[in-house]
Amino acid sequence: MRLASNFWLRTIYFFAIVELMTERSYLGEFELMILLAVIQLGEEAYGVPISRELEVHRGRDVSVGSVYAALERLESKGLVASSLGDPTPERGGKAKRYFRITKAGLRQVHETRRTLSKLWKKLPELKGERI
Amino acid sequence: MRGTDPPSVATWMLEHLVPGPRNDALAGDLLEEFRQGRVNGWYWRQVMAVIVIGFSRELRNHATVMLFAAAWSMLAPAWLLIISNFEMHFNLDERLARMDWPWPIVCDVGLLLAANVLFIWAGIVLYLIPRLHAEGILRFRLLAKGLLASLPVLLALWATLVVLPKIFLEQSIDRPAFIPATTGQFEHPSPNSSAQMKGLAVERHPATSLREHLIEHPPPSDAERIRQHEEWLAAQRATATDHGNSPRSAIIDPRTKAIVVSLPFFLTILCALWGAALRFDRRQTRLPA
Repeated sequence: MRLASNFWLRTIYFFAIVELMTERSYLGEFELMILLAVIQLGEEAYGVPISRELEVHRGRDVSVGSVYAALERLESKGLVASSLGDPTPERGGKAKRYFRITKAGLRQVHETRRTLSKLWKKLPELKGERI
Repeated sequence: MRGTDPPSVATWMLEHLVPGPRNDALAGDLLEEFRQGRVNGWYWRQVMAVIVIGFSRELRNHATVMLFAAAWSMLAPAWLLIISNFEMHFNLDERLARMDWPWPIVCDVGLLLAANVLFIWAGIVLYLIPRLHAEGILRFRLLAKGLLASLPVLLALWATLVVLPKIFLEQSIDRPAFIPATTGQFEHPSPNSSAQMKGLAVERHPATSLREHLIEHPPPSDAERIRQHEEWLAAQRATATDHGNSPRSAIIDPRTKAIVVSLPFFLTILCALWGAALRFDRRQTRLPA
C-alpha cells in the first residue's frame, strides 16, 4: 500500500522535478561576461553600455535582447539586482533599468574565476598536443 | 539617409509581438542607440532578435507544461472509452431517447461536459499540486476557487474544441433522431440523406418549408424510432470495441482518430496551464533577489 502510494506520489511530482532539473545552477560564458561588464561599469550599468562593452571586447555585434534575457536569468538567480532610473526624452520617455551585482553574484564570479584559473594552470601539461 | 525616429513598423512589432510583459527599458535602450547613429538595418535586426528570443524563452519556460499536456491528453481516448462503456452499461442512450425534447440533448451534452471537464480538471490539479506544494503556497480552497473561476473559459474552450468538432463529426454519421415525433423535429434520416452522404446530387428546392418536409417525410413511429436507435447503438458499440474495449489499447492506438480525439484535450489543458505558468513566472520575478 505504502509502496503504491510512493509510486503515485513520484509520478505526480515527476513534472515538478523535471522543471527543477532544467534550471541551470552554473554560469554560462555569456552570463559571466555580462557579470564582469556590470562590475566594471558600476553605477552606469544599463542595457546600452553593457552591450557596447561586450561588443568592444568580443569584437562583434551583440543583440540587446540577448543581453536583457541573460540579465533577467541572472536576476532570477539572485546574482544581479535592478532598479529603474528616471525617464528621459532622448529615450522616448522610457526609463533606464540599472543593474548592480549582488553579494551572491560576486561570490559566484570569484568561484568561477578560481575554477577557470585552476583549469588554465593545468594547460601547460597538454603542450604539444592538439587542443 | 536616416531620420531621428526608428522604423515605426519595427517599433510596433517590438511593442506588440514580444511575448511576456512589456520591456520599456529595452525599447528605450534601442531608441537611445538608434538616435546615437545606428542605422535602420541595425534596429530591425535588434527587434527581430528580441522577438525570436522572447518566443524561444516562452517555449523553454513552458516545456514541462507542453510535455504534461501531451502526456495527459494521451489518456483521453481511454477516458472516453471508459465513459462510453459506462453509458452502455447503464443503457443511458436508450433512457435518454425516451425523454421528451429537449432533455435528450441537454442530458447528453451535460454528461459529456461533466465527464470531459472532470478529466481536464484532474489534469490541471495533478500538474498544479506539486508546483504549489514546492512553492509553499498550496491552499486547497484557493485551488478550488481557481478551478471554479476557470470554468467559463474552460467551457468556452471545450465547446469550441470538443463539442463543435463532435457535432460536426456526428452530422456525417447517419444517426437517428432521439426526439419524439410530437415535437415536430425532422432530424430522422430521410431517403435523401443517405444519397447526400454518398455524394450523389440530390434535387431539393431551397425553400422547402417545415410543413412540406413533414408531409414528404412524416416522423417515424415510436417503434421505428427505437429500432433505428438500436441499430445506431449497435454500430456505436462496434466502433467502441475497435480498441479491443480496453483503455490501455485505446491509449496506445496509433491511428489518426486517437490523435484527433486527444488534440482538443491537449489544447485545452495547454491553454489552461499556460496561464498558470505565467502567473508563477510573474510571482517569481516579484520576489526580492
